[in-house]
Amino acid sequence: MGGLEGLAHGFAIALTATNILWAFVGCLLGTAVGVLPGVGPAVTIALLLPLTTQLEPTSALIMFCGVYYGAMYGGSTTSILLNTPGESASIATSLEGNAMAKRGRAGAALATAAIGSFVAGTIATILVTLVAPPVAEWGLSFGPAEKFSLMVLAFMTISAVLGQSALRGFASLFFGLFLGLIGTDAMSGQVRFALGIQELFDGIDVVVVAVGLFAIGETLYVASHERRVVETIERIRGSLWMSKEDFRRSIGPWLRGTAIGFPFGTMPAGGAEIPTFLSYATEKKLHKGPDKFGEGAIEGVAGPEAANNASVTAALIPLLTLGLPTSATAAIILTGFQQYGIQPGPLLFTTQADLVWALIASLYLGNVMLLVLNLPMAGVWARLLSIPRPMLYAGIVVFATISAYGMRNSWFDLFLLLFFGLVGYVMKRWDIPVAPCLVGMILGPRADTELRRALQISQNDFSVFVTHPISAALLGVALLLVIVPPAMRWRERRRSRAAPTL
Amino acid sequence: MEIPRRDRAEIAISVAVLALALFVFSELSSIPAEGGYSAVGPRFAPMIVGIGLLAIGVLLMRQALTGGWRDRGPPPDEPLHAPAYLWIAGGLVAQMVIVGFAGFTIASTLLFVAVARGFGSTRVAHDAIVGFVLTAAVYVFFTRVLGLSLPASPLGIV
Repeated sequence: MGGLEGLAHGFAIALTATNILWAFVGCLLGTAVGVLPGVGPAVTIALLLPLTTQLEPTSALIMFCGVYYGAMYGGSTTSILLNTPGESASIATSLEGNAMAKRGRAGAALATAAIGSFVAGTIATILVTLVAPPVAEWGLSFGPAEKFSLMVLAFMTISAVLGQSALRGFASLFFGLFLGLIGTDAMSGQVRFALGIQELFDGIDVVVVAVGLFAIGETLYVASHERRVVETIERIRGSLWMSKEDFRRSIGPWLRGTAIGFPFGTMPAGGAEIPTFLSYATEKKLHKGPDKFGEGAIEGVAGPEAANNASVTAALIPLLTLGLPTSATAAIILTGFQQYGIQPGPLLFTTQADLVWALIASLYLGNVMLLVLNLPMAGVWARLLSIPRPMLYAGIVVFATISAYGMRNSWFDLFLLLFFGLVGYVMKRWDIPVAPCLVGMILGPRADTELRRALQISQNDFSVFVTHPISAALLGVALLLVIVPPAMRWRERRRSRAAPTL
Repeated sequence: MEIPRRDRAEIAISVAVLALALFVFSELSSIPAEGGYSAVGPRFAPMIVGIGLLAIGVLLMRQALTGGWRDRGPPPDEPLHAPAYLWIAGGLVAQMVIVGFAGFTIASTLLFVAVARGFGSTRVAHDAIVGFVLTAAVYVFFTRVLGLSLPASPLGIV
């Protein structure tokens, strides 16, 4: 099915009353968790995974995606009104946004963020509509060797590119790969690393790991290290709209932010954080208006907000067409598909055309809903920020335990939740990124399977991975990503050491 | 000469990674190596993961002993407030222990109060009421609407 034909069909499904309702629920929840500090889209979708037993796949996935990009809209409200940004992807927004709010321009900042998110989200959705089908077509030519190499590339980028240190990224990745190995092997039926514990035969549930690492780990960290942080909420003064002048100054940053964010989203480099900072830096460089950067320049809000929305939408391309999650949240959405026995990948566009096009159609719809939900109602959402922290985090922890316990009513899952909570605290405190662990855990078993399939087909000839051109190229890029940055650092160090003797 | 900055926790985490690697290797023998038609069986991936963990553990340890892990972000503004940590972890342990016989609502209300206490709230009665109302609502939603089963308290309905 071609892009436009598929889309028309998708709208027919997405516009049924049930699906509109679930898209709305997703957008509502997404905005709420985006606004609330301490709980992000990855945890929220993980907490909602039990719904997959009750809902049709299309409705559930439409809702999950609503949460996913809704959180980007909501995140801007917090980063503008509160002096402590909620999520990493909205730190760049908070730099100028909070400064604008302090000067009484919160309304304009919220407006440019919401409209910018809408513009970027819609442009990115159009690009997804056009780009996804050909990419899926290309993906159909992938055999097990290519799939394996693609996953290796994803592992390398998410571990080596993100975060402060590639080494700690790999530590997280390999921990995740280990977790993925626990339980019954899909290909041979062998049980690995279960230590004879019955509960581990089916493997460790992704929900327990994600919720433990993120929600419990974060709660422990905030409670024990951020007790004296005083949160000051800026009031929204004046109208929630922009002047003509604000509009004129925002349009450029919106479009540039979209252009920066979109390609980053399609790459397995994880998260919307890097493009927001790139967009911020770009706008700062181009800036020559009246308000200085650092004192509340509207360009510094418009650009990054567009960038993060374009990036999260674009991340759906590798997820839907190649089954490749590029961030922790995308990895959880992938798990959502798997709950229904659906494997995202090139075949999705042929075998599940209804589902995938309804999902894409719902993105157009969701962006409109989110604009309406966020712009006139920013004041209502800001109220969420005044929930006292003890109540907020106590609620988060209780919800976390339900998702862990509700699956099979076993105290063992609560034990695992606590264990991963402690691990999550340690990772946050000692700067070990969490996303590689989740991606490793979710993709690891598939990489294992594809590796063995490839070797079965090639009759145990390991050279298939380098003689197939696509596979070789993917592995080459993966290798470069690991080798180049340390090599450059090494040269730098040698040069700086040599310099004084010159 | 700069005195190497040693962070005991960095060493401990490195040891944990090495221990995990050793655990992986010790379990390898119980996983059959052959995998039907493929030369690599279910033992291959664990082997790779074990080697990776070993290499990472060694490198982390080397960094920890020679001036500390590289490129660490700034330390938290406040040192660890142990009571807060223990209230929350303790609340989770307590819930785990009693949920089976006290039921979900009561165990979770206790957890709610403990976490709130960890965040500095001292209004136990207030927190208990908020916690009970929240967990009871959640209980009804999850069991009636979503069809999940959660243990009821000895008191009955919720």
